[in-house]
Amino acid sequence: MRTSLLSRAGGGALAVAVLALTGALLSSAGAQTRPPADLRNTVMQIDEKPGYVPSDGESQLDPAFRKQPVYFRTTEPPGTIIIHTDERFLYLVQGDNRAIRYGIGVGRDGFQWSGLEHVTRKAEWPDWTPPPEMIARQPYLPRFMAGGPGNPMGSAALYLGKTVYRIHGTNMPDTIGLAVSSGCFRLVNADVTDLYNRVPVGTKVIIRQAPTL
Amino acid sequence: MKRFATVLAAAGLVLAAQCLAPVRAHADTLADVKARGTLKCGVNQGLAGFSAPDDKGQWSGFDVDLCKAVAAAIFDDASKVTYVPLSAEARFPALAKGDVDLLSRNSTWTLQREAELKLLFPAVSYFDGQGFMVPAARNLTSALELTGSKVCTQAGTTSAANARDYFAQNNMTLELIELPGVDELVKAYGDGTCGVLTTDVSQLYALRLKLANPADHIVLPDVISKEPLGPVVRQGDDAWFNVVKWSLFALVNAEELGISTETLEQAKASQKPAVKRFVGTDGHFGTQLGLTDDWAVRIVKAVGNYGEVFERNVGSGSKLAIPRGVNQIWSAGGILYAPPIR
Repeated sequence: MRTSLLSRAGGGALAVAVLALTGALLSSAGAQTRPPADLRNTVMQIDEKPGYVPSDGESQLDPAFRKQPVYFRTTEPPGTIIIHTDERFLYLVQGDNRAIRYGIGVGRDGFQWSGLEHVTRKAEWPDWTPPPEMIARQPYLPRFMAGGPGNPMGSAALYLGKTVYRIHGTNMPDTIGLAVSSGCFRLVNADVTDLYNRVPVGTKVIIRQAPTL
Repeated sequence: MKRFATVLAAAGLVLAAQCLAPVRAHADTLADVKARGTLKCGVNQGLAGFSAPDDKGQWSGFDVDLCKAVAAAIFDDASKVTYVPLSAEARFPALAKGDVDLLSRNSTWTLQREAELKLLFPAVSYFDGQGFMVPAARNLTSALELTGSKVCTQAGTTSAANARDYFAQNNMTLELIELPGVDELVKAYGDGTCGVLTTDVSQLYALRLKLANPADHIVLPDVISKEPLGPVVRQGDDAWFNVVKWSLFALVNAEELGISTETLEQAKASQKPAVKRFVGTDGHFGTQLGLTDDWAVRIVKAVGNYGEVFERNVGSGSKLAIPRGVNQIWSAGGILYAPPIR
């Protein structure tokens, strides 16, 4: 349950199709304030890198994705989390027409639903147990990994309702702003820890999608 | 006697004003533009992100894209625009005289400009307003935390008065440092003489680029004055007023409906009623405006939707990197609200 979202990577064919592109896309994304629209709408297969500990430099996001106070008009009460998946932003409503905005990476799963959830559980430095389907695809993955800086779950996780979805940290900060095929809503560790300290269990979480045609 | 003379003088002025006014047998700007084959659009001579020519004389920017949108709606060709660069003083007389069909030149919508100058602002294209820039390291989230700050602003602007009002209203102490020019402002803020810089938000982002390390400074979300910018047309031609107004509304509606340059082909085949009305597969809304029914498709094809125009010129796709803020769709946290096409 805890790690099943990571197993949703799926799509072996997709993986083969886009793996070759991944390196180039990632390196170019790093130089931009925000990925171009065509890139933002591309779901990429980026393998998890357990044990990889990002440098401080890597964890420094492009300015557009850094945590910042922004104007945000909403009828939702202060303390509510609103996630705009297509914008790659998570807003923590502050009241008085403002919010704290965090840059996020969105999983393909994150595109499949919208609606209302609540934070049902919080954990710091969560452990990671890759599920069997993920092990089958990436046999080199550990069967269990204790929480820590090299853990793909990052420094904190907020569990959403009874779903497999969650808001968590990452050990791959360069995936912020992208749609990656595994993981749900990921923030850099400094940001997810900040969010963890600001919201209690029971917090309302609203997920919004781009309009469909 | 003196009074009589004044009356005479006033009458003379009125006559003079009437003589100066263009003699327009008919006010059918749309027909004139179509006959001429090009839209005459008044723009700023050079303002980063809003209107500027490149070294080949090609114009680009947020305001320029509105000219292109209107031209695209009429001609299905965004290049059929004759740009007329205008100074702040020359812009309204030029429009009144008929030198341009449309003014798209970062102009604030005020009562005086409509009532006295006899012009009309069809809609707001960009909500600007006065804000504050501070070093990001101070970790501030609200302008209400600025009490006791040394605030730098440009002398002789409304910004100083606005800042005084705002601080007084919120029981905050203020040390205002008024400086003559923009370069002095940047220098004083850069060397720490003042901890806060205040002017219109769009200008704060432009000034930020001149600092040693722009990313180390943020603009607080608080906006303390109203500077609604928009296109301007002459009074007396309601049909033209509508063409400009709905071209702008089309940009905003496109974003709200999820129609962009990327999804345009998909939108044309959509079965959603609001999308069908937008692309012209249902109804004759373009015809009602004196255009073709694919008018809105032409606009999006030429410049994209509002979000694309914003991000490309002044937002995350530009050096300015201005966040959407209030200039976001009403349903996504902003105040942009376009009436529906139906």
